[in-house]
Amino acid sequence: MTDNKIYFKFDGKKYSGVKGDTIASALLRNNVKLVGRSFKYHRPRGIYTCGIEEPNALVQIINEFNEPNVRATVKKIYEGMVVKSQNRWPSLKRDFGSINNLLSPIFSAGFYYKTFMGPKGFWKNLYEPLIRRTAGLGKPPREFKSKSTHLHHNVDILIVGGGLSGLLAAKKLAGTDKDVLLIERENELGGILKNSNKVKSINDQKTSEWLEKTERLLKNSTNIKILKNTTVTTYNYSNHLTAIEDRSVGIEPDNKKSELVLHKIRTENTILANGHIERFLSFRNNDLPGVMLAASFEKYIQRYDVVPDNNPVIFTNNSSTYSLLKLLIDRNCIPRAYVDVRDVKKIERETLDLLEAHNIPFYPKSEVEGCDGNNKIKKISLRTKKNKIIKIEASMLCISGGINPDIHLFTQSKGLVKWDEKILTFKPEKSFQKTITLGSVSGNFIFKKIIDEVNQKLNFIDGVNDIDIKIEVNGSEEFNIKEIWETKNNNNSLWSKSFIDLQNDVTTKDLTQAIREGFDRIEHLKRFTTNSMGTDQGKISSINALGIVSKLLKKSVSEVGTTTYRPPYNPVSFSAIAGRSTYEFYDPERKTPIHPWHLKHNAVFEDVGQWKRPWYYKKYENESMNEAVQRESKQVRESAGILDGSTLGKIEIKGKDALEFVNMMYTNSFTKMKPMSAKYALMLGEDGMVKDDGIVCKINDNHFITTTTSGGAANVLSHMEEFAQTEWPNLNVYLNSITEQFATFNISGPKSRIILSRVFNNIDFSNHKFPYMTFNTFDYLNYKVRILRASFTGEQGYEIYVPPKYALTLWERIFYYSRDVDLVPYGTETMHLLRAEKGYIIVGQETDGTVTPLDLNLNWMIGKKKKDFIGKRSLTRSDIIKGDRKQLVGLVPVDKSYGIEEGQHVIEDKNIPSQIDKPIKMLGHVTSSYFSPTLNHSIAMALIKEGNRKIGSQIYVSTSNMNVIPVEVVKPNFLDPENKRLLS
Amino acid sequence: MLLIKCPYCGERDQSEFTNGGEAHVTRPKNPEQVTDREWAEYVFIRSNPKGIYYERWVHSHGCKKWFNAVRNTSTDEILLTYKIGETPPPIKKFQNTLKSPSGEPDVGSGNFTVKKP
Ligand SMILES: [Zn+2]
Repeated sequence: MTDNKIYFKFDGKKYSGVKGDTIASALLRNNVKLVGRSFKYHRPRGIYTCGIEEPNALVQIINEFNEPNVRATVKKIYEGMVVKSQNRWPSLKRDFGSINNLLSPIFSAGFYYKTFMGPKGFWKNLYEPLIRRTAGLGKPPREFKSKSTHLHHNVDILIVGGGLSGLLAAKKLAGTDKDVLLIERENELGGILKNSNKVKSINDQKTSEWLEKTERLLKNSTNIKILKNTTVTTYNYSNHLTAIEDRSVGIEPDNKKSELVLHKIRTENTILANGHIERFLSFRNNDLPGVMLAASFEKYIQRYDVVPDNNPVIFTNNSSTYSLLKLLIDRNCIPRAYVDVRDVKKIERETLDLLEAHNIPFYPKSEVEGCDGNNKIKKISLRTKKNKIIKIEASMLCISGGINPDIHLFTQSKGLVKWDEKILTFKPEKSFQKTITLGSVSGNFIFKKIIDEVNQKLNFIDGVNDIDIKIEVNGSEEFNIKEIWETKNNNNSLWSKSFIDLQNDVTTKDLTQAIREGFDRIEHLKRFTTNSMGTDQGKISSINALGIVSKLLKKSVSEVGTTTYRPPYNPVSFSAIAGRSTYEFYDPERKTPIHPWHLKHNAVFEDVGQWKRPWYYKKYENESMNEAVQRESKQVRESAGILDGSTLGKIEIKGKDALEFVNMMYTNSFTKMKPMSAKYALMLGEDGMVKDDGIVCKINDNHFITTTTSGGAANVLSHMEEFAQTEWPNLNVYLNSITEQFATFNISGPKSRIILSRVFNNIDFSNHKFPYMTFNTFDYLNYKVRILRASFTGEQGYEIYVPPKYALTLWERIFYYSRDVDLVPYGTETMHLLRAEKGYIIVGQETDGTVTPLDLNLNWMIGKKKKDFIGKRSLTRSDIIKGDRKQLVGLVPVDKSYGIEEGQHVIEDKNIPSQIDKPIKMLGHVTSSYFSPTLNHSIAMALIKEGNRKIGSQIYVSTSNMNVIPVEVVKPNFLDPENKRLLS
Repeated sequence: MLLIKCPYCGERDQSEFTNGGEAHVTRPKNPEQVTDREWAEYVFIRSNPKGIYYERWVHSHGCKKWFNAVRNTSTDEILLTYKIGETPPPIKKFQNTLKSPSGEPDVGSGNFTVKKP
């Protein structure tokens, strides 16, 4: 491009702006005033401000994954940007939802709470979809790709805000040994010096010259780092702040999504120099496109060289609008009128002189009653000193209701604020942390005092010197304001509304109503009316609401108090919070060394914790899970199967007191246990509830290896560590996770011994030499394997522990040696079925943190002679031995053709009444259920009240189609109760 | 986000730590000899004061060591950390630091961000 024009689209129409323009400044350049529809009433809305405080001009960036609720007043344009207005249908100018405005009497405060109470089902099917369509802001993006990242800083001093006072503070700290981070929200330093012409000169230079010089000085100071386009959003405890930096300001992000950096900053001292926010005023139709804050209007001229309107009306209650008046006149734009609620005697000399010299219609002690127009201002109605209504034709109205120190961050830091009667606003009173406020955020609106303030508040820092500069201002030095929050309304039509919160469409009438209904505490009032609960947190209006409420309650603003400003200061994109932790990086995936083999053999995976475990293997393309599981489990029982058990948690316990420690951690007794033998063991919490189970292998009294459930490994280790460190620090015991040091294969089935004898032909696997629940370590090829005779299927079985780097070769070797034996790889679902046939529990399926070993009939696992172990005492608590607890039983359908559903209720009565008017007595629930191909019927386990006593009786299980099926209660041991297979 | 001083590693970000509940809750020496009530006190009952609180932390994403801390629950300031086994400093030592942010009342909470007149 040869010219410096940038083309972009807004609602399908092409517009041009210049480099550096925000969407808002570019639209104003093209005289576009209507940019959106409001949240509740769908009223036409325009651009109200020129910055982060914008309540109205929220747009959607179509070419950035539909990014919604983007502030048009902040987002900078680039070539080809596609922008859409929000919250309108079918078009911005003719919006269907604006009918809500006429229905507004029913949309009053508390409307949602009161209206949608019934009948049953209406909320889900009717109200919610309807409300969702008409209410709300932008539409959420469908895709999400993030290039965002996180950065950490540890500094001595953080300066928030690169305006005049922030720059002075940085200048003072330049060259000291303090690490300083200066954060500026805009793309240029300067703040008020850039936004307005209030400061005429600094040290007799133009402000731009001084700025340039200062920035050069700071850039050359090695101890100062400057971040621009960065907004501090959160101020936490311990001087920890977070800030969001936008690294693609004014350029199209290359992956179609802004590159955001979330800075996490830890600092010794925080200097808040984040300035102020102008507030608005409430009057009839104060939301009409064309109404704009006066300082924002000035900022558009100063920063963007756009004059939103050549002849606006200015309406103020304070002295700050002088600079706008002067700027307009300097540009030969003569305001149509200047309306000031103050008495002429209170109005500054400079202002009066300017008004007189340029013959500007001047209305002191007057107010704007309201404005009218269709989609934009046409006429402004004034109430003069003599209470006469006059109408002025104009298309823009600049308003100023005063200045608020931007105390959001200060109150987030838990600092105390106080109402100042002179400047009519809250200002910082007392810091809670090491926080210093400088400039207008501290309530200091007088430029000449800034130097003194900076020197005074920063002189405690080692190595700083007093700085001295001369500041000349345009207009009066003093800040003068008259209290007014809302003007009197002369028109009561339905269309006429006086807003107190533009983003959430809260009117002053809503406040009145809420107070009438008893919500007179400010925090209640906020929630009931949703005042200042929008994404802008009522930045330009929340103090006004306090003002109005204080008048209604006849209290002082100080007594009314302010609501808590909550982080973040402005909306933070989820992409920034997520950083790089998205998709595969969101939660790490853990894969076993056999994973490639599983993939090759069509395993379908299940997530167990972070692990990917084969769930079942598809033998052929269309095999269903049920078919696969039936096939796999049958084959294990008939020949042999192999399961990749590498995900089992493994913990090594060593030390002189290892035996004593293991005795305390598990219910079983390990004292008399022989070295090189193993035990199935239970771990309880101190409350006596089953926490985990596993196999404890004893190498000797000083060395144990235990396994844990796949998902529980980390918790079990930290549970052990906790007791080792805090309860028994005197015990000599060391714990180490060795989960990833060994891959584990579980081979079971009648042919497993044959297979192992072939693979490890030097080992004697006979029952006599290698009995059940023993283990040993063997040299194999050039490494060692540990083999344990154990089984979770009830079949003859072995567990092989092998270093991961040899695991895949060994796995393949096992298959090589089983060519004629029909070894089947099986997944977790088949494992679950096989163990259920044997009545073995799974922690987390048969237990849920409320189940004791007694409830599971695992009394045999409790070391009777042990004096103590974790949870032992709880097992004799009166509540635990009451006898009416739920116990684990087996269920078999009376009619063997029926299946039992997992999770269903177990009930005593077979009749479920058609009209249920009181809860049906529930005995318990089905914890596991499978169809056993070996037994050829359904089997289930259930936890039911007094289960042991019900064995042999008939009860009922509900079904998902509101039926019941009769079942017989049996011992949960369906197959081979004598353990013949297991010990074969 | 608090800054917590691990007695072994020094000051670290809160995200590296896990809170472990009240400190100095001793496990009965002979669990079999205590009453149900005494045992339940140990297993279930914890104090929840507004103000000085002795609690346990573990440097879970660091050295994995457990340690004790004294925290003012009304301000969230961690006043002191010390190793397991060290004698806890008397509560009197901390009384004068008992203050609430934003002038909250001594008991209960509330959002009083404005100084009481
Ligand atoms: Zn540590």
